[in-house]
This record gives sequence, C-alpha cells and structure tokens, in this order.
Amino acid sequence: MLGAGESRGPMERWRLITTWDAPPAWNMGLDQALLETPEAPPTLRLYTWRPGALSLGYFQKYAEVPAAEKAPLVVRRITGGGAIHHQRELTFSICVGLDHPLYSGSVGASYTKVHAVIARTLAEFGVQALQRGERKLLSDREGTGMCFHHSSALDLVWNERKGVGSAQRRKAGRVLHHGSIKLDTTALEGEIASVADASRGVTPQQFAARWIEHLSADLGLKLGADAPTAEERLRAKELTRRFEDPEFTRRR
Amino acid sequence: MRPNDRRYTQTHEWVKPDGETMLVGITDFAVRELSNGNEDDLVYCDLPDAGRTLAAGETFGEIESVKAVSDLNSPVAGEVIETNVNIEEHLEVLAKDPWNAGWMIRLRPERKSLDGLLTAEEYEKFVAAGGH
Repeated sequence: MLGAGESRGPMERWRLITTWDAPPAWNMGLDQALLETPEAPPTLRLYTWRPGALSLGYFQKYAEVPAAEKAPLVVRRITGGGAIHHQRELTFSICVGLDHPLYSGSVGASYTKVHAVIARTLAEFGVQALQRGERKLLSDREGTGMCFHHSSALDLVWNERKGVGSAQRRKAGRVLHHGSIKLDTTALEGEIASVADASRGVTPQQFAARWIEHLSADLGLKLGADAPTAEERLRAKELTRRFEDPEFTRRR
Repeated sequence: MRPNDRRYTQTHEWVKPDGETMLVGITDFAVRELSNGNEDDLVYCDLPDAGRTLAAGETFGEIESVKAVSDLNSPVAGEVIETNVNIEEHLEVLAKDPWNAGWMIRLRPERKSLDGLLTAEEYEKFVAAGGH
C-alpha cells in the first residue's frame, strides 16, 4: 500500500476532468476515449449521470439483470463486473499507463492502493470503511446481477454492506479504473452501504473535493482542473454512438 | 525458466510453432496478474470463431477476471483455424497449465518467422523488470 507522499516524485501532475450530470452513453464514450489515447497524461475523471442510468458489466447478459427493465436508461460499460445504478453516487475513472506505481503490481494491489485513499476520504464523513476480506455481507444477494449485491475480498464495506464498487479495463499498456462511491441508496440497489449511513446529504461535488485533497496529499499528486483534448472529445463523440446503440447494450 | 520452445509478447501472450500451424496462449504471469493467485477469479473468456484473419498485434479476444477485463492480442498474423472451446467453460485450465492445455487459438500463420518476438530469456527479463 502506498503511504503518504510515496509516489513517483514531488507532486506528479495529473489531469482532473469533472463532468456533472452528463448523458450516460457519452460518459462511457469519454472513458473509452481516455483509455485509448496512448499519449494522454494520467487522468482522474469525476462525474455524475443524467438520467441516473444503469450500466451493465461488459460481459453481463442483459436478461440476467432484472433491474435493467426498471431503469430509466441502460448502457453497457467496457469494464467487467456487475450492474450499477448511477444515481446518488460519485463516479470516477482513473486512466493511466500500467507502468504507473499505482497499477504496476498485481491487479489486487492496485485496488488496495486506490481503495485506501477512498477509505481515508470516507473517514472524513464518519464512515469507517474496510476491505471486506473473507466475510459474507448483508448486501450479498443472488440473482440480481447487481455489482453492489456481489462482493469480493478487496471491496470497501461498512455496516456489513458494500459501499464502493469498481472494475478495471486493461488495454494496450493502459488501464481504465472505473468506480462508484455510493452517497445514498436507490430503490434499484436497495439496502447497500452509503455515505448517508453516517452523513446525510453529501453531494458528489463535496465528496470529490475531499477525495482530491487526499489524492494530492497521500499520493503526492498535483491535480489540475482540465478538459479533454479536441481529439479525445471527437473520439468520445464517435464512441458515444456505439454506447447509444441498443444492439451493443443488448448484445449478450 | 519459462518454456523456450515458443516466443513471447510484452502483452504476455505466447506463440508456439506446431507443425504447419501455431498455437497462441497467455503466460503464467498474465494469469497470476488477472487472478491474484485464485483460479476462481477468472470468470469469462471470449475467443474468436475459426476463419477470422488476424494481423500481428490485433486483439483476438478478451478475458475477464473478478476485477479486470483485458484484451488478448495475437503475436503473429494469420487465420484462426481452431479455438480451444474447453477454455471458455473451464477457465481454471489457464491457471493449471497455461503452456499446454491452456492454448487459446490455433493459427495458420502468414509467415513462419517469429523474429521480433521475445525469447524465453528476454521475456524472463521483461517480467523481472515489472512486466509493463
């Protein structure tokens, strides 16, 4: 696990892209564009969705996620894992080269490092989050296909429920680490853990501000507010069409 | 030392000549990185249909572990003539025997040469340096 200040060097520069209340297919298109731009600098993207869509994992079968029929809109992610209802949450994507110290070890170690910084941020809001380890959770449920109803040892949990879900796509020497930090529960996901267990009414922007502080301090990052390049925006627009296509969403 | 009867890529695939054809799979390092040492962590593998033509370096499939989806890239150009359908149902084979039973596709290669790919010795050094 990376400790405070243990990083590549003094104040390594990362790009910070925030896009609030953006369309679901475009959210997925931009994440893929960031992954597939080899020369892109390390990037943290923080975002929310409008409408609050449900995303399926890359390999999931549409028919095996009953909540898909009730969601206002459904898209398919390029990361694996279960379905997520993107409402009352802060969504993040980290996009860097696999040679970056956060991701250069085992896949499991990369989760532990990123989750450690999220856990320290959660603590500021009164949430004592731990990695699940070997225990069963109250939020584990069969047959829903939902990410927050299926847990693994590395997941961040509190009150015996899962409250942070994340997954990675690795491609051509780069990684997209995509995740959801739950600020409150939704009807589609039911009783899972959220920041509201300890602090009600925390907005995605409030959580984002504190997480950025922790990433800067704990990992020695200088996160500069930025925007996608013209090429990334163009590529994101092209990719958005695929994520809007029902054939892609329902292809399994 | 990993098998020296084949060549390797920096994206952790191997290619092994087998008569007029070549077999392609992924290395023990790739399996360990994806599965964290737990073979049950590998959950899905999507391989191409026979007949597909691949360029060198082209993505031929995808593999999902509990925590990451990764591309599978062909080390050489050629036509897919067979896929190891056993793998899609029994991903644990990849952890148990990535070098033999864990082959993924059989290619009819465009060229016989494996020049430009890593030897076992070079791959060992690459992995020892972190594998990225």
